Amino acid sequence: MTSITLAGVTKKFGNQPVLAGIDLSIADGEFCVFLGPSGCGKSTLLRMIAGIETITAGELQIGGQTMNDVPPAERRVAMVFQNYALYPHMSVFENMAFGLRQAKTPKAEIDQRVREAARILQIEPLLERLPRQLSGGQRQRVAIGRAIVRKPDVFLFDEPLSNLDAALRVHMRTEIANLHRDFSQASVIYVTHDQTEAMALADKIVLLRAGADILTKGSIAQIGAPLELYHRPKNLFVAGFLGSPTMNFLPATVEAAKTDGVTVRLESGEALSVAVDGAGLAKGARVTLGIRPEHLEMAAEAVAGQTITHTVEAVENFGEYSYLYLQSPMPAPFIAKVSGDAVGMAGRAVAFQPLAHSCHLFDEAGEALPHLASA
Amino acid sequence: MSSRSLSPGRIAIPVLGLFWLAVTTLPFIFVVFTSLKTQQETYANPVWALPESLNFSNYLEVLQGLFFTYLKNSVIVISISVAIILITSSMAAYALARLKFRLAGPLFALIVAGMIVPLHITLVPVYLMTRDMGLYDTPFALIGPYVATSLPISVFILTEFMRQVPKELEEAALLDGCGPFKIFWKIFFPLSRPGLATVAIYNGIMLWNEFIFAYVLTSSPQNRTLPLAIWDFQGQYSANIPAILAVVTLTSLPLIIVYAIGQERIVNGMMAGSLKG
Repeated sequence: MTSITLAGVTKKFGNQPVLAGIDLSIADGEFCVFLGPSGCGKSTLLRMIAGIETITAGELQIGGQTMNDVPPAERRVAMVFQNYALYPHMSVFENMAFGLRQAKTPKAEIDQRVREAARILQIEPLLERLPRQLSGGQRQRVAIGRAIVRKPDVFLFDEPLSNLDAALRVHMRTEIANLHRDFSQASVIYVTHDQTEAMALADKIVLLRAGADILTKGSIAQIGAPLELYHRPKNLFVAGFLGSPTMNFLPATVEAAKTDGVTVRLESGEALSVAVDGAGLAKGARVTLGIRPEHLEMAAEAVAGQTITHTVEAVENFGEYSYLYLQSPMPAPFIAKVSGDAVGMAGRAVAFQPLAHSCHLFDEAGEALPHLASA
Repeated sequence: MSSRSLSPGRIAIPVLGLFWLAVTTLPFIFVVFTSLKTQQETYANPVWALPESLNFSNYLEVLQGLFFTYLKNSVIVISISVAIILITSSMAAYALARLKFRLAGPLFALIVAGMIVPLHITLVPVYLMTRDMGLYDTPFALIGPYVATSLPISVFILTEFMRQVPKELEEAALLDGCGPFKIFWKIFFPLSRPGLATVAIYNGIMLWNEFIFAYVLTSSPQNRTLPLAIWDFQGQYSANIPAILAVVTLTSLPLIIVYAIGQERIVNGMMAGSLKG
């Protein structure tokens, strides 16, 4: 049993609240990613689970056992640090064996476990080297190896790839995913601010918010599977955080609100249908329309209705796809992501036809209106 | 190119360097030259005159006396003192640098303030305490005062060192099952090796030359340390200057060797806090 449960957990540094209202449960063998902007407390939350940070209030259970006051070494967790935290004066072998030696593991077993982990991570030739003689990627493997040899119930990763270059990051990301498959009995908690990593690795994403909102709304903005957060964001914060480029937001007023869909009118005078339940909305209510750049499809000529027309201000071509920067009343960039090249489009007025079920609608409080079941 | 070579900085720095080299080297050259002269020569010839011949009789005289007894005493006292200094100051530095407890800041300030206490005002109380403990006129009388007077600078240097050890190493050790003492002994102590070398060499040099405590706390020749060897060649009305300077030369030799080997470590250790802090 390696499930992890946090109930009503809060954390304060002095009088400053950092985390509030953390209610979360991570199932056996689940790969859970803590995602959020800088300062949201995701690393602090991980460190609280590891036991190197105290819990101000609430309860932490690992495997059904309350762990608030249990020393870190007895929680059966292993952590991989952002800067690897390898002991510089010890060889790779000694680094990996150190925890086992402290636990008084027999020498033969230490040797066997270290060599087995080294084989899995392909670092056998490096066992006698010192950390300073290794590259960034090799150090990362040793740090992971140090966690593996302890056969923990929970792996904790604190932004483990942030010090690597882009290519190596993608490679190590795949290796971590493979590792999770090989050690599927252990749960993984992985902290990152990189949504690509989160989307690629997670079974479950816990998106945390920062700032004063945590006192009223709690630290957790949304918990769910990656695609659930992407397709069904619960509020403006989640919608704006996940996705690159970020979701476009336009102010609108409700034209007609029914249980089978809502029609909104934009400031430009154009009307759009959105496949959400408008049961709680009154005609004329102010709402925010959200459309992801990749859902702004260029309309075929002479299509009437469900279109918005914007002038293209600038174009970025990436070969496979292009970003069109559109004129908008909002200060944030309004971007359409279209496939293929978009040469010579700057300055032209272009009509886009977003599908009703791809649009999102947020009420005045910033909460998303529920999508229709069929959408 | 020519305007750069004539800039004041390019001339002043080597000139000042040579001047400082002369200030530090000339006294030592004087000591070595004079130690090779006869007593008569030192009085008859100008002070800076070269020795008429290489006369090693002063060295022979020093070495045939109690020199090796003094050397043995110095080595024992300084080895034990430096070992105690290293252990106590590194433990104190770890606590001050990494353990969270009330009054850590004021305590550190108090220890560092110990550096400004003039040695001489402690002489009488130290003498009285040593006598009361029955340690007067033994080499062990020196260990307590030597450790006590060396601790402030040692704690200061090592605390700066240990503050630079990344917090994650401490946390990794905590997750590996270490308590505070094991974290100190297995992680911080080995990682502070450059700082420990600095502290050992710096204090070793200072204590090797220490005169006043050795003079006050020991009296018989068999318990004296090296700096007191010069007393063998100084009477109430006369002084054998070449022999005294032969003692000074012989006493300095181990220091010169240690410094030549360890100077980089001393400088790096002294600079570590200021560069990365």
